Amino acid sequence: MSLTELKNGERASIVRIDGDRRYLSRITSIGLNVGCKVEMLQNVKKKPLLIYGRDTMIALNREESERIKVEVIA
Amino acid sequence: MDNTKNIALLGQPNSGKSTVFNSLTGMHQHVGNWPGKTVEKKEGTFTHNEVTYKVADLPGSYSLSANSDEEIVTREYIAKKELDLVCLLADASQLERSMYMLADYAGIKTPVMLVLTMMDVAEAKGKKVDVRKLSEKLGIEVCSIVAYDKKSYESFFKCLEKAISSGKTLNADKLYEIVRNGEGAEAFEGYMEKASLIAGERRSPEWIAMKLLEEDEAVLRELSIKGEKNIATDPKGALYTSDARFKWIEELLSLVVTDAKKPSELLTKFDRAAIGPRSGKWVAFGIMILALAGAMIVASPIMGLGGALPSILNPLADSVLGGMGVSESIIHFIKATIITSLGWVIAMVGFIFAMNFVFGILEEVGYMARVSYVFDRSMGSIGLQGKALMPMIMGFGCTMGSTSGARVIDSYGQKIMTIAVAWAVPCGATFVVIPTLANAFFGTGGGMLVMFLILFIMVLHIIITAKVFGKKLNPVDKRTGIVMELPPYHKPRWGFIFKNSLMRMWDVFKKAFSIELVVCVIFFFLSYSKSGIEGSILYKIGTFIEPVSAFIGLKWQTFMSFVAAMVSKEAVLGVLSAIFANSGSVIDTTTGLAATSDNIAQIVAAAIPKAEALAFIIAVTFNIPCLQAVVSTYNETHSAKWTAKIGAYYIVTALVLAAVVYHIAVLFL
Repeated sequence: MSLTELKNGERASIVRIDGDRRYLSRITSIGLNVGCKVEMLQNVKKKPLLIYGRDTMIALNREESERIKVEVIA
Repeated sequence: MDNTKNIALLGQPNSGKSTVFNSLTGMHQHVGNWPGKTVEKKEGTFTHNEVTYKVADLPGSYSLSANSDEEIVTREYIAKKELDLVCLLADASQLERSMYMLADYAGIKTPVMLVLTMMDVAEAKGKKVDVRKLSEKLGIEVCSIVAYDKKSYESFFKCLEKAISSGKTLNADKLYEIVRNGEGAEAFEGYMEKASLIAGERRSPEWIAMKLLEEDEAVLRELSIKGEKNIATDPKGALYTSDARFKWIEELLSLVVTDAKKPSELLTKFDRAAIGPRSGKWVAFGIMILALAGAMIVASPIMGLGGALPSILNPLADSVLGGMGVSESIIHFIKATIITSLGWVIAMVGFIFAMNFVFGILEEVGYMARVSYVFDRSMGSIGLQGKALMPMIMGFGCTMGSTSGARVIDSYGQKIMTIAVAWAVPCGATFVVIPTLANAFFGTGGGMLVMFLILFIMVLHIIITAKVFGKKLNPVDKRTGIVMELPPYHKPRWGFIFKNSLMRMWDVFKKAFSIELVVCVIFFFLSYSKSGIEGSILYKIGTFIEPVSAFIGLKWQTFMSFVAAMVSKEAVLGVLSAIFANSGSVIDTTTGLAATSDNIAQIVAAAIPKAEALAFIIAVTFNIPCLQAVVSTYNETHSAKWTAKIGAYYIVTALVLAAVVYHIAVLFL
């Protein structure tokens, strides 16, 4: 499933990231690469996503985050 | 022996880099632009143990990719042969993530040392970093400091001296071992030969091969110049390299960082409100009002001093200079130029000090990033960062507030854009001058309508101006969605921010006074007349171009007032008063030496037709806000070119707006 479907408080692991080079380098350099564990802090309507990963709170553009695929950690 | 060393500070956003830079260099800073690029260049010097260090504060970015001008500048700089050392900063409380810059640096052969900041925050989180072990593993000097506490810099200076004398470079063999065992191994090996074509003393073939694996545009361009055109790249390459880098970091830190994992709530109560889908905007507006009020409180004593200065110095000039036998006209000249501009500059730096202080605290606390998140969608739609809203709102108070507040925008291009857009926000003085005029011409109800028209034009102006300036400064095809860290809240360091704001104020004062003085002198001569208004150059220009300016609804009288409004908004009424009520000369009413006639608005209302008046009101409102705004824009952009561009744009758009309004109004009024 895509990161944008993750509900508030759910934890997940990134399994795939699609997109062009520019996007990949931006998203990975802030700490989100395949295998990274994240927690959804706020996912509402059209606002940017707010997640927590690698000890950091990160705001992500919603449309672009469709390209991040995750697997929920139970 | 050469006693000057060149060092550079490199680090991710929020790593405490500017704090370190300010602490090290203090007043010895110079801010300019990188030649040919819209990127801010910050340099400074400091001396330690009789060695002078030239420090470059490189623009903050998350990695060394070639995604922005900022990163390209940084990459070129760190590989310069003249550079003696790079001090790479990393946030100890988020070490895994902020070490990514070091991992990307691996392969650059410029000597480097690692500076861990926010050690106090890390410890509060229950994290311990073994600095010595980390240093052993990396083969370079590592130190830890608390960025705002100069006393903690002792270890920094020790490491700095050791690092420079030893010239140790980062040992990254482990990283390449990981790459060679990873998914991109084959491609990486394949690139090595081509990489050595453009590798140099400071850039290893491995670093270039990593960049090739990431499809790095700049490196590919360099190779194509060497004739290596069709290099096959893998769109997933950037994932392989980042994977390897994080593996390398995780291995490095496995025995270095001990995490006691104190249970902590990720979102505090305040944060829930500050970023909440609805509450976030209310919190932001509340804080903006508080910030505006706070800025006014901080600024008002200094602004009061600036305002009162002429009334103290002018009588003094009269008695002292007059007593010395200096002629009255020279005393008048001194009053209208030197004393006036001194008063203005003091008032201006008061505002600059206040904005630096108030915004400095909001930024330091970590709240600005929340504003960016909350207003990302609305501001993003015109190509600005969410936090650009903050300085723009300040513009309703004073345009100097918005221009100096634009310092919170971390991309230079977007900073210029924010300033250009913020000029369109009518300032406090406009809200005094314009209703006076509008009510006199159109009555109370009509005056309200005029204010609505102004707000409507403001919104349009903002959208169009963002488009016009965005073309060059933030092109649509280069715009990207938000990927931004919201740093944890920190306690503000009042003393540190206070000191920094004072230094900034002094710096601006030195530069601004001479500029304002020159403009005042020029304006003095333009409006100088031996007898009446008609003798001045300004009058001659005004009447000469009246056939043209009449087309946009401006007669010579209103045109003169329009020109004076670029110096000071209050001059709008003053100049009209000088012309219509004979209350003093143009220069005296502009500089406040002569009072404005009390009922000037009524007198003017009887003399000017309504359509012309409306055109004039619009022209003045959206003209260059005032000389102060121009000077503070120059201070913030360090670019005469961009300041001139913004200024010219506003004169032209104000006249165009006036023409449109005039020709529509003529049909109805």
